Amino acid sequence: MRLSILHETHYRYSSPVVLSHQLLHLTPRALPWQQCGAHRITVEPAASELVERDDYYGNRTAHALVAVPHEALLVRAESEVIVKPRAQAVLAAPRMPWETVRARLGRLDAPPVPEAGEFLYESRNVERSRELADYAVRSFTARRGIVEAASDLARRIHKDFKFDRTATSVSTPLKQVLKDRRGVCQDFAHLMIGCLRSIGLAARYVSGYILTSPPPGRPRLIGADASHAWASIWCGEPAKGGAGWVDIDPTNNCIVDDFHATLAWGRDFSDVTPMRGVILGGGAQTLAVRVTVSPQLEAALESK
Amino acid sequence: MSRELLSEYPQTGNRYDELFESPQTPREHWKPLIEHLAAWPAERMRERLNAVHSQVRENGVTYNVYADPQGADRPWELDLLPMVLAQDEWSRIEAAVVQRATLLNKILVDVYGEQRLLREGLLPPALVYGHAGFLRPCRRDRPADDVMLHFYAADLARSPDGQWWVIDDRTQAPSGAGYALENRIIISRAFPQLFRDLKVQHLARFFATLRDSLAQWAPKPEGSGSPFTVLLTPGPHNETYFEHTYLARYLGLPLVEGSDLTVRDGCVWLKTLSGLQRVHAILRRLDDDYCDPLELRSDSALGIPGLVEAVRRGNVLVANALGSNLLESSTLLGYLPAVAQSLLGESLKMPSVATWWCGEQAALNEVIANIGRLVIRGAFPQLRVEPMFGEDLDERGKKRVAAMLRARPNDYVAQELVHLSQAPVWDRAHPRLMPRSIGLRVFACATPNGYMVMPGGLTRVASAADARVISMQRGGSSKDTWALASEPVSTFTLLRRSVGAHELVRAGTNLSSRVVENLFWFGRYCERCDATARLLRVALGRFGDNVPDDDERARPVILSLLRQAGIVPATAGDLGDRDLSATLRAAINDDASPGLASGLRQLMRVAANLRERLSLDNWRTLNRLTQGITQRRGRKAAFSDLLGDLDLAIASFTTLSGYALDGMTRDPGWRFLSIGRRIERLQWVCATLKQTVAGPPEMDLTWLLRLADSIITYRARYMARPEWLPVLDLLIRDDANPRSVAFQVHGLRDYAQRLIDLFGDFGDERFHGALRDLLQIDAVAEFQPGSERLIARLDAWQGAAYRHGEQLGLRFFSHVGEASSQTFAT
Repeated sequence: MRLSILHETHYRYSSPVVLSHQLLHLTPRALPWQQCGAHRITVEPAASELVERDDYYGNRTAHALVAVPHEALLVRAESEVIVKPRAQAVLAAPRMPWETVRARLGRLDAPPVPEAGEFLYESRNVERSRELADYAVRSFTARRGIVEAASDLARRIHKDFKFDRTATSVSTPLKQVLKDRRGVCQDFAHLMIGCLRSIGLAARYVSGYILTSPPPGRPRLIGADASHAWASIWCGEPAKGGAGWVDIDPTNNCIVDDFHATLAWGRDFSDVTPMRGVILGGGAQTLAVRVTVSPQLEAALESK
Repeated sequence: MSRELLSEYPQTGNRYDELFESPQTPREHWKPLIEHLAAWPAERMRERLNAVHSQVRENGVTYNVYADPQGADRPWELDLLPMVLAQDEWSRIEAAVVQRATLLNKILVDVYGEQRLLREGLLPPALVYGHAGFLRPCRRDRPADDVMLHFYAADLARSPDGQWWVIDDRTQAPSGAGYALENRIIISRAFPQLFRDLKVQHLARFFATLRDSLAQWAPKPEGSGSPFTVLLTPGPHNETYFEHTYLARYLGLPLVEGSDLTVRDGCVWLKTLSGLQRVHAILRRLDDDYCDPLELRSDSALGIPGLVEAVRRGNVLVANALGSNLLESSTLLGYLPAVAQSLLGESLKMPSVATWWCGEQAALNEVIANIGRLVIRGAFPQLRVEPMFGEDLDERGKKRVAAMLRARPNDYVAQELVHLSQAPVWDRAHPRLMPRSIGLRVFACATPNGYMVMPGGLTRVASAADARVISMQRGGSSKDTWALASEPVSTFTLLRRSVGAHELVRAGTNLSSRVVENLFWFGRYCERCDATARLLRVALGRFGDNVPDDDERARPVILSLLRQAGIVPATAGDLGDRDLSATLRAAINDDASPGLASGLRQLMRVAANLRERLSLDNWRTLNRLTQGITQRRGRKAAFSDLLGDLDLAIASFTTLSGYALDGMTRDPGWRFLSIGRRIERLQWVCATLKQTVAGPPEMDLTWLLRLADSIITYRARYMARPEWLPVLDLLIRDDANPRSVAFQVHGLRDYAQRLIDLFGDFGDERFHGALRDLLQIDAVAEFQPGSERLIARLDAWQGAAYRHGEQLGLRFFSHVGEASSQTFAT
């Protein structure tokens, strides 16, 4: 599917900001299943410096410095991506028991599994705990296939937790989310990752978007008017019969397919915050974020 | 040898004794020290002890304890006796520490670079990926010369068989080297002859090498200048802030806080009065993850946004490299022997204390089986686990700990308990030596030719005889450490004894805005305290205990001045003599009441922010004064003692002002300090005269002349009872009187002009109106009690002083004050 994405972040400050550093994770990743087209980041007032580079995880980031006094800051990211379906391939992959994956991750005497070793441990927003493990094991029963078990975990999160924009903030700890049983996509992604890491599996946080208005006949997805997030689970090395990284969206209870555009991944939200800034001055502030993801005509895709 | 000296020194066999080889037989390298001590008469010993303690106190050597409810600086504890190490033994320690620093640096470079150790399974991934100190944004290609660990400290302990072990590695921002230096300076003065005869190795060259090595690796400045290095501190609240200021002064580096620095164009700059100055190297005492709120901990208010990017682009050297906290994990210890073989092709010259990481199943089983003789600690610094001693646990306790280990094995290590060696310390209460457990912190710095070890170190002393841990936070003390040499020692020194002694501010143009703001307030508070002390002296002289009052008529004016100063509550009516006397006492020595003691506390707070800028003389004066004033707090002190305290205070403020006048270079920092004084004095003299002029016309004005320190001048000129016209002329119009309005106004106008010349225009208060006013005064008509015209003029001058302060603040300080740096994520 060909998606056109507009992501606007608009800050207003009660007193002038004299210096503003912004670290942006707003550029979609080029991936085997995602082709990136036109992309543009605009900063108003104009940034005196805008430097791009790849971060530790290979995500494209931009560092913007606004050095003129300003009372409002607008960052607009416009992107076009073409996403290939991939859920089907995941479901078709051979079934690998989750204990097999875990044993392979936990072995010390062999070189670590590339990439996955990074995502086994606690990180700033995701702790491991007995409570999370207890919640997870009801899906991870003995010898169950890892994709099936993880999908079941996503299904339960979707069923047990209520989507509630007012219940949490960027800094709500996982413990609180688990207790209150409500939150937003970011919380559910963290929850899923925490559950998986607490039973010795590797999982990473994916930041991205989903289609705002679904094609006719398909349901509207939750979390479409803001940036979205989901979890990616390590399901064993493809060369050894595993399914590799499998993306699952607990907010929408689905295996990620061609409605999801990937921006960046990391251990949790704090690694891939779409926009993280340090300002000098500013006083009180208001924030408005607008995200629009629209499908382009399938015909346009065909003609490419 | 004096039997008495060692009469109480138990010579037990279950620990290594640094002093005794066998009962009654001191080791060869301790003999000269012990004989030297034994030959001292008791009196001399006491003198030396007192000298050591007063030096520690007067130099303001402190160790802040976070948990201290009073937030007080605690004086640094220093034992009179140095720890002595024989030459061959020292050489072995030195070689082992060089090897270890080299190894740890290679590990750091590998983990942040190609990660061969992980790929080859020499380090478990948990050790890197599970360590909060592994900072992903800091992974990069190659640091300058492959050095990330510029400064390193190892904590060593000696077991009963005499073997030294490495207990801990300090790799992030090791503390203690400055304290070691301070210890050395004090103790070598206590034993000057012995220090020379024993050929104790000097420390100065080590610090010079550290500084020069940083300059060598820093990015090269454009043109021919040398790289500009700063010392970055978290600020006065840090437990080792004393050391930061001390090292900054010793190494000649500006001491900066995060808010002093800014990143532009991928480079780091120091905000100074005259603009931004490029910084090439940062020796940091700020923890890794606090250094950059943009890419590291977003809740850090202490860091410099963009610093990681500046490092990434090679535009600044940060020492130690960001991310070096990674090595501060006991987990690493167990893997070091194999890593040493792989990276160096050598075995370790000094073993680490035996350590098992419970994340390995085999190790976990072993640990649980032997829990009774092990110490359980957190595997990673972020876990903040208090050590648990297996020997303290009963059977139930052991089961509980075993369950805890099984639940989260990755989070724990178990270590063998090293029974620390003991060394003699001087027992202050009785003239004799007592044994205490000791540990040795040894420092090394990277140089282009490999690591160099500081010849000596910080010997840390436990607070109890058989302690298992040594903690400076829990009341431990310290010793100077003498590494003996057989060769003549280098006498190179970095101390600028003849030049720097009375310098309040280092000459130079790189004054940070924060320092300038603090100097301004230092000037203001000095002046404010001085005025308060003078007012209290006048008040106490009149209302104090049963002093015959020569002129009751001045009483309401002085009371209103006390009210204006906040000393007497504004709402209180005329207090009786008894209440007033109590209020004045509290105002002098109780810092919970408004007055001198509380003013001094504010002065000390500002002075603490200027610690590296104030000479030791300033510091001693301030310390003595504060101690002198507050010692009588809450006690029924004699009236004459209180007056004596006030005399001392006023003399001390004069001394401080003398240091500034006589010993400070006339740079912008000095100018701001002086402006602060003048603004404060102008406001004060105007406020005082307004109250006086409005007071009873027939009162005797002698008290006013005393208050304004102008009585001698007046008497010399008029040799008569004070009268309104000449008194007011002296205090307002006489520009030769340093207490007069005219003197302040002229000075402020001149300083303002100098600032405009240097930095361009700011604000519009030039004191033109005030100067015109001074010329236009009709003395006969206006220098009279009750003159409305004069009161209006005084009011205007006071307002001008206030406005001037505000404008200076806006132009030169406002961006640092309560600067609201905030981090947001969306």
